[in-house]
Amino acid sequence: MRTILLIIRKEFSQLRRDPRMLPIIFLSPILQLIILGYAANLDVRDIPTVVCDLDRTASSRDFLSNFFNTGLFTLKANVDTPGDVDAYIEKVSGSLAFIIPRGFGEKVKSGKTAQVQMIVDGSESPSATVGLNSAVMIVAKYSRNILIEKFERFKFLGFRPAAINSEVRVWYNPELLSSKFMVPGILGMLLMVMTMMLTSMGIVKEKEAGTMEQLIVTPIKPYQLVLGKLLPFVFIGLMDVMLTIVVATFWFRIPVKGSVALLFGLSLVFMISTLGLGLFISTISRNQQQAMMTAVFFMMPMVILSGFVFPIENMPKLVQFVTYIVPLRYFFVIIRGLFLKGVGIGVLWDEAVVLLVFGFVILTLSVRRFRKMLA
Amino acid sequence: MSGQLNIRPIIKKEIRQILGDERSLILLLFIPAFLLTMYGYALNFDVKHIPLAVYDEDRSPMSRDFLGNFYRTEYFDLKYNLRTAAEVDRIIDGGKARVGVIIPENFSRNVQANREASLQVIIDGTNASSTNVALGYIQAIIQSYSAKVLVNLLKPLGSSGVAIPVEPQPRIWYNPELRSAKFLVPGLIGFILMVTLVVSTAFSVVKEKERGTMEQIILSPIRPVELIIGKTIPYVFISLFSAHVVLLLGYLLFGVVVKGNYLWLLLAMFLFLTGGLGLGLLISTIAHTQQLAFMMAIVLTFLPTFILSGFVFPIRNMPVLIQAVTYTIPARYFLVTLRSIILKGAGVRAFWEQLLFLLGYGILMIGAATLRMKRTKEWGNR
Amino acid sequence: MPEYTVEVKNLTKRFGDFTAVDSINFAVRKGDIFGFLGANGAGKSTTIRMLCALLNPTSGTARVGGHDILFESEKVKENIGYMSQKFSLYEDLTVEENIHFFGGVYGLPRAKVRERMRWILEMAGLRGREKSLTRQLPVGWKQRLALGCAILHEPKIVFLDEPTAGVDPASRRNFWELINQLSEKGVTVFVTTHYLNEAEYCNDIRLIHAGKIVIGGSPEQLKKGNIKNPILEVECDRVVDALEILQKEPWVLETSIFGTYVHVSVEDEEKGRSRVRQRLSENNIAVKRMERIRPSLEDVFIHKIEEKSKEFQER
Repeated sequence: MRTILLIIRKEFSQLRRDPRMLPIIFLSPILQLIILGYAANLDVRDIPTVVCDLDRTASSRDFLSNFFNTGLFTLKANVDTPGDVDAYIEKVSGSLAFIIPRGFGEKVKSGKTAQVQMIVDGSESPSATVGLNSAVMIVAKYSRNILIEKFERFKFLGFRPAAINSEVRVWYNPELLSSKFMVPGILGMLLMVMTMMLTSMGIVKEKEAGTMEQLIVTPIKPYQLVLGKLLPFVFIGLMDVMLTIVVATFWFRIPVKGSVALLFGLSLVFMISTLGLGLFISTISRNQQQAMMTAVFFMMPMVILSGFVFPIENMPKLVQFVTYIVPLRYFFVIIRGLFLKGVGIGVLWDEAVVLLVFGFVILTLSVRRFRKMLA
Repeated sequence: MSGQLNIRPIIKKEIRQILGDERSLILLLFIPAFLLTMYGYALNFDVKHIPLAVYDEDRSPMSRDFLGNFYRTEYFDLKYNLRTAAEVDRIIDGGKARVGVIIPENFSRNVQANREASLQVIIDGTNASSTNVALGYIQAIIQSYSAKVLVNLLKPLGSSGVAIPVEPQPRIWYNPELRSAKFLVPGLIGFILMVTLVVSTAFSVVKEKERGTMEQIILSPIRPVELIIGKTIPYVFISLFSAHVVLLLGYLLFGVVVKGNYLWLLLAMFLFLTGGLGLGLLISTIAHTQQLAFMMAIVLTFLPTFILSGFVFPIRNMPVLIQAVTYTIPARYFLVTLRSIILKGAGVRAFWEQLLFLLGYGILMIGAATLRMKRTKEWGNR
Repeated sequence: MPEYTVEVKNLTKRFGDFTAVDSINFAVRKGDIFGFLGANGAGKSTTIRMLCALLNPTSGTARVGGHDILFESEKVKENIGYMSQKFSLYEDLTVEENIHFFGGVYGLPRAKVRERMRWILEMAGLRGREKSLTRQLPVGWKQRLALGCAILHEPKIVFLDEPTAGVDPASRRNFWELINQLSEKGVTVFVTTHYLNEAEYCNDIRLIHAGKIVIGGSPEQLKKGNIKNPILEVECDRVVDALEILQKEPWVLETSIFGTYVHVSVEDEEKGRSRVRQRLSENNIAVKRMERIRPSLEDVFIHKIEEKSKEFQER
């Protein structure tokens, strides 16, 4: 026991010696959290729009106003020829254009069909999708309203077309803020990146420096060495969790709706996997450079496959299978559940168990490899 | 002052060291390609197959027809057909479905009697963006159903051919099927290259510091600028190779063709890579331990490039302060250039400013690295 | 019957095709300074690492401190101290932090650690530098600190792998004094080195070459028993030229350069002396001094190694 504490103390002494490590470990998560919390925003808003109104009637202006009232489209330029439209779309990313033909107002008034060209820059497909869908929907509504107006004339028949209304309730994130989704997610990412990196490098560093040999020659037992090297990172990880909760709650006003203690506890469970992976990487790397590249090799896929930004449902079935072995995936469900939904262990039980099992399997395998390395 | 740069010995040594560490070399060459493959397949912004739970209290042909509009599309997958409203709540809570639709039992009666009919929709809003899209679909479905109802109502009134007043004619440029792969691949290229580059070069100088060979270098007559450039060049070529492998994969797997001028693309890649390498070297000259170098490299490239380069999140939606920060991310300029050249086939007038930025960034980084190297040489290995 | 603290039987280590240590046998008496000599790559470090239970042998057995290295490795580790070739203390910890750490790892109670710390600081000349970062110490002090940490727990057997490599001669003498002190206290010191002249300081020596033990015994035994042919030490200028010239002569058995002198091994002393003078003066090399010397251990070793190499070639 004392040996483990000794090793932990040594690790902290070493960490303290490099004063630049401290800001990286503690400050950078906060900074990243703040910047990314603001930047990570998938809301489609203010699509730069260019208009070429060849009609210039009250009708066409009225028609166009339906778009620019929504906040979805921002009028950036009003050009005279369709050719100018082309140049604009080419230059500005994610832009959209409306070209209203001459005679628009007349056709609408006389009950004929007027066609409006919409050109969208498909290279930014997310905003293009939403922009286009919304534009189409706005046009449909506009058409419908015109039809209804027409039928006002049939009012004397006592006829009023009725609407189908939907009462939509958005749960957990009623204002639909992307940050509410992203910020808790970033916690998971930061935790994984920090613990995996620090662990894999920390052990290989001793191998490279030769101090590992000096340790092996003493009567120290492998489990003491493993615990001694991993526990400091557990501590750092939990500190990062705490920092994230503080920033999320007070800066972004995203408090943890569920139990904070449970969040800590399950973070711990999650860390078993990441630390185990870090340990594993350290056993297969000869030097720190290899350890790092291997860590990156593992981390980058895990970030994407965990459902952080891209929903897992959308991935091809084959890829979805792979996501089942990514511990981060389950942790994200837990984080979001605890931050946004406020659910309890009852609902998160499945994920917790999977993480626990994963963690133990990975850790056991890694420790075994580690012992072989020592012998 | 000799104008000749003596970089040959440095390049030779660096190449020998790189070749000596095969594992790192292979990782450096092929991680980007591997990641592109994986991400390209996994990533998809298209919001489809949303798990849906319904509770149809009405159970009439009309309600069933109405609901069919939801799950007969590829947007929604009917997962649960429930018997109580409480069950719907539970399913959404548990994350097993993301949208719940509840049709009250007087729905069809109201519609047929030309009274206002309503229904309830519950959406799990945690993922705001896909929720927005889902809402869009839902509204579109409801609107078009309303329109159908309207048309049916009007028929008996005998108006000949009610025409729809305004019809949209959408044209999608550059990515007609709106495949997110086309949107993401350029961004992925930038992201992957940036991270792998910076991480691998972040080592090159620190390694020497940690191993003690740095002292030799300090004592030798090698000039700092020679050292930095000499270290950069092998990595530039390796990464160029890697980048081309990635491009090739992008074409083979995702049909991403370079529409524009390849030479401009090459120039852009070269500038971008040099900037990234410069950053890596700068980190290398600042950090004293490999551990620190790696942490700095990851912190400065991983999340920032992912989030601030415009790869996934559009920059124009970010708060102004954050937008200012994105100017420091070279991947941002690279991405605009990539999208211009690859997807839009645009000429240089569309992206010359970006190239200028990239050039400036590259010079800045290499310059800073050289300055620090000079300091190290003069002050010793502190 | 002397007590043997290290007993090695047919110890072998193979790495793939390469045999680093080839079935060696020896025994070390308690309290001896046991020297394991050989060139780099001869198999010294591999042997020492097996004896410290850092590496598993491919075949053969060894007992260290009465415990088997394969099956009782824990017990072996409890009773030995090890100082590796490459400096292996924590460079980013201070002197006292390193001592506290290893003291604790060896299970020494606090008071004992403090006592030993005082002793080590005294011995290594590090009084007043407890709080210095290990990285900043000069090499000689670092080595002494490493030795101190290796014997923190007062083990009965100490393994030192090239402890004086890269250390200045004064520090080297110093180091060997420390080793002598340990030996006087009854500690068995197992040293490897590639400095052949350090062999003189040991009680019992083994010379290892290409994984095999070439020769062994105490320094006196080795010097007496092995070289029959007289060795002439020649002091002259253009030592390298002289060496080349003499090497070619058929009546010259062996030549080598020692510092600024040439050692020539001949069959007959009288004839040898005149022939050397003759040859060298023919080439305008003046002989300042020539005398027969008692062969040093280095002479013995070089002779033995060349013998072995010739044997190998003839096979």
